[in-house]
Amino acid sequence: MTMDDNKLTFDKITSDLTHHIRINKGFLVWMGFLTVSLVACLYAYSLQLRTGLGVAGIRDYVTWGLYLANFVFFVAASLIGMLISAVLGLAGMKWITPLTRIAETIAVSFAAVAGLVIVSDMGRPERLAYVFIYGRPQSPILWDVTVIITYFALSLLLLYLPMIADMAILHRKGALPSWLKGTYKCLSLNFTDTPAQNRIINRSIRMLLILLVPMALSIHTVTSWLFAVTSRAGWDSSIFGPYFVSGAFVAGSAAVIIAMFFFRKNYKLQDYITDLHFDNMGKVLVTVSLVYLYFNINEFLVPGYKLQRADAIHLTELFSGKDACMFWIVQIGGLVLPILLLFFRPFRKPLPILVISIAVLIAAWFKRYLIVIPTQEHPFLPIQHVPQNFVVYTPTLVETMITIGPFILVLIIITLISKFFPVIPLHETAVEKGVEDV
Amino acid sequence: MEENNNTHSPNEPEKSKASTRRDFLKNLGLAGVGVATGAAALYSGHIFEAKKEATGESKVLLTQDGRLVSVDSLEIKSHEKTGEDLRESQSREGIPGRRWVMVTDLSRCRNARKCISACQEAHHLRPEQYHMNTLQMQDSPNTAPYNMPKNCQHCDNPPCVAVCPVDATYKRPDGIVLIENDRCIGCRFCMAACPYSARIFNWIEPKDAAKDQGIEYNAELNVPQKLGTISKCLFSADRLREGKLPYCVEACPNSVYYFGDENEDSVTNGTTKETVRLSKLLRDNGGYQLMPELGTKPRVYYLPPKNRLFPFEEAKDATPEKV
Amino acid sequence: MCFKKQFFLLLIFAAALGFRVTAQTWVVPDDQKAVTAPAKFTPAMQKQGEQVYTKNCQSCHGLPGKDNWVKLVPPPGDLAKEKAQKQTDGEIFYRITTGKVPMPEFRNIIPEDDRWNVIAYLRTFNPKYVQPEPSAKTAFTGRIVTLAMQYSEPVKKIVVTAHEKLKDNDKAPAAGIEVMLYVKRFFGNMQVGDMKTTNAKGEAFFEFPADLPGNSAGNVDITAQVNDPKNQMKATPAAATLAIGVPTSRPGLTETRAWWSTRGKAPIWLLLTYTLSVLIVWGFIVYIVVSVMKIRKLSQG
Repeated sequence: MTMDDNKLTFDKITSDLTHHIRINKGFLVWMGFLTVSLVACLYAYSLQLRTGLGVAGIRDYVTWGLYLANFVFFVAASLIGMLISAVLGLAGMKWITPLTRIAETIAVSFAAVAGLVIVSDMGRPERLAYVFIYGRPQSPILWDVTVIITYFALSLLLLYLPMIADMAILHRKGALPSWLKGTYKCLSLNFTDTPAQNRIINRSIRMLLILLVPMALSIHTVTSWLFAVTSRAGWDSSIFGPYFVSGAFVAGSAAVIIAMFFFRKNYKLQDYITDLHFDNMGKVLVTVSLVYLYFNINEFLVPGYKLQRADAIHLTELFSGKDACMFWIVQIGGLVLPILLLFFRPFRKPLPILVISIAVLIAAWFKRYLIVIPTQEHPFLPIQHVPQNFVVYTPTLVETMITIGPFILVLIIITLISKFFPVIPLHETAVEKGVEDV
Repeated sequence: MEENNNTHSPNEPEKSKASTRRDFLKNLGLAGVGVATGAAALYSGHIFEAKKEATGESKVLLTQDGRLVSVDSLEIKSHEKTGEDLRESQSREGIPGRRWVMVTDLSRCRNARKCISACQEAHHLRPEQYHMNTLQMQDSPNTAPYNMPKNCQHCDNPPCVAVCPVDATYKRPDGIVLIENDRCIGCRFCMAACPYSARIFNWIEPKDAAKDQGIEYNAELNVPQKLGTISKCLFSADRLREGKLPYCVEACPNSVYYFGDENEDSVTNGTTKETVRLSKLLRDNGGYQLMPELGTKPRVYYLPPKNRLFPFEEAKDATPEKV
Repeated sequence: MCFKKQFFLLLIFAAALGFRVTAQTWVVPDDQKAVTAPAKFTPAMQKQGEQVYTKNCQSCHGLPGKDNWVKLVPPPGDLAKEKAQKQTDGEIFYRITTGKVPMPEFRNIIPEDDRWNVIAYLRTFNPKYVQPEPSAKTAFTGRIVTLAMQYSEPVKKIVVTAHEKLKDNDKAPAAGIEVMLYVKRFFGNMQVGDMKTTNAKGEAFFEFPADLPGNSAGNVDITAQVNDPKNQMKATPAAATLAIGVPTSRPGLTETRAWWSTRGKAPIWLLLTYTLSVLIVWGFIVYIVVSVMKIRKLSQG
């Protein structure tokens, strides 16, 4: 299956990019596994619903634990849709075409699930509607809820609009079950590739891309403000917005590379997602990692130089205390080493970069843990006369399961989207290759 | 419409048909709105006429904004807030003309923890739940350790209230920061924002949940406590309404606490019941606030632990190992 | 934690304090030693006394008979033990009333009856105790004083005048009466200025602080009382509402629009920015959705 431009026809592209759309055994086994895992996690959540947040390890001093770290991670990962589609797209980079849908799928699924993650952290989830009924515009939580919903809507539209043309093609071409065809037909909006229709789609996409940039910046900046608007050591930082945004690009790029690898392998897309794409994504990852490293240096060196009372306790714990092991593994293994390695072309080959990206993504999650939890273990006033589990935070099993649940949900959403829709934009690829439908 | 697409290949007739249909719908909608409005107008007119027939008498009344209005005498109902409404508006409005302050004299605290037990009993708290906690402080290695009772500072620039997404915690005109646990969604942003670690959360079923069932909620006491919501020191707002000193202030055996009204420039010692001038007390004893550099403007003042009446002792914990 | 260090500190502290204390012992005047309770102790009094003890005394003296008193200097001691019990009732009463560092002065904290009740309670731990005859009430022979008060504009002072009732029911200015002035505050009366003694005309002059807040009209409720700690007089206090305070009507603390205000009082610029941003972005989203819906109509079969 080597790329041969001369023989590339519209039909070949269509079959290459859509042959995975069928329910096979592998899919059923995978989905079955995910569903069973999700049910187990839902059971854990039902325990929490019944008996309260006490089933988790969080207590009066560390009141935000895994759930919130997870929330920050999910918001971070969802940001990648904006980087790939909007920033690189608006900059006119053509190579991103096969990656846009992957990036948008990741954005949509992580943004949708981020909303659920934050509900799992609520002591009174049944009062969720109060946020809309009594919402105070002074609270960053209201801003966060607003921008996450908006970002989700924009990302969903941006996932859908380029798919309209693909839906029309699939509806006409594919030999598929009738219910699937019906869905495609409905989603295709009777697209017939007229200039007027294309004009609407192109203009709408352009508008979405422009809206997406400030909205994506807001979603993670506002999330960082949940911490930065407090005066706590480790959170009281004026660069938290860009620090979070750059960190989000690192996590998101890694997520896209991992997704690229598995889609390419499982759906046999080697002709479309090439080594060049991995190489380019490697360059993107190293660029955003460098920016993130720069913010890390600022974030730790400046307070570390002054060592103000509360900062000193916090930073000592991070650099050489209880959290030092996790901190240095995350900073070196998840940031410095990947940067050094990715400078070299051989490490930007699919398999090496997959391994690096997995390390980066795992480190990104633990980085969120290090941002959220240690600060709360060192409040300004001493923690005294409370049970030992108030002093040191230890996540419980139930809490861990409720934390894993959202990942499974994201995998389910990504699997479903990628299974029933072309992972790579069909129409766009055909147009770019100059092989229009006849 | 999809079927229309297939049957009518030229676009024009399809369009015109669609537009007529749309027009029809639009007209129908307009008509509907018109009918509804008309009916409403007729109905209210009918009620007005009925009322007029009933008495024909009208009375002139003064409204809250100072206008004179004439109202049918049947329409006049005495305005009384009752039960829960009254309680809720009371707890939001506070006690008019007051600005509550507390002064804690660190030289007198010997960590008897009477304030804590009185408070926990009043607010139905577990032993590890503190609205008021006495901390053993040592500011630097060579300075002397001392006991510091620490409660909510009822800041005039409260970071906890600023971040609340649903107005569940609020500052009252009399300075008290209260919680409405019927409103609280349990996001715990206020706990993260409070630099004094003054807030606690009901992680598990509150101590007296079973006993307190059916009790009407009183925000000024925050009882009954509710699972999944915040609690904290309320300056015993319920006691102030009765003209009494807060629970902790009254329970202290060592005359640590003064409580009073900044507007009257006076505070009363909870143990000796002696009332003194706030400004003089703070001036003579070098009164200070906790972490004023954070700009929170606390309403709790501390008198430094000099000339201590009691030696410092390491405190023993009475709380369980794990909760 | 650093127990050693604390122990060392405690030693220094104890030594310093101990030195000061041993230099002067706590002597009770003989006439006070001889004072006896006003009534026979009853079980009801003992029960009441136990409650008062638990609230006010136990935190230092511990449970009577359990020897679990707090290690202070000088040691509070167990009040059920012989050292305490060998005192007369009058001695114990005096010590409770006057206090001595670090023991608080309970004169104004525990009412007189309750102080006797505590003694009644403590005596239950002493089986050998036999109560002396209660002091008999004798006919009142002290002065009968009535106070009056007014504000003197020319001298800018509050004038308290004391009159006493003479034997023949005449009234005469009372000289040498100790008078204290109080102003009413929310939780109690606050003393204004020092105690004054009336002159030959029965007058005492009080300067009223120029900066003491009154209500919105500047009114303050003032009372004048006779200082009579030994209860030797029958005194009628004087009360008046005078417009000599600083008129005070400060606004509530929630007037400003701030980050911490309720939603209704959010800063206007914030309300506008938030609402406009949401409207604009969602306006675009709705516009995009509506225009995408048009695709259906533009299709060509």
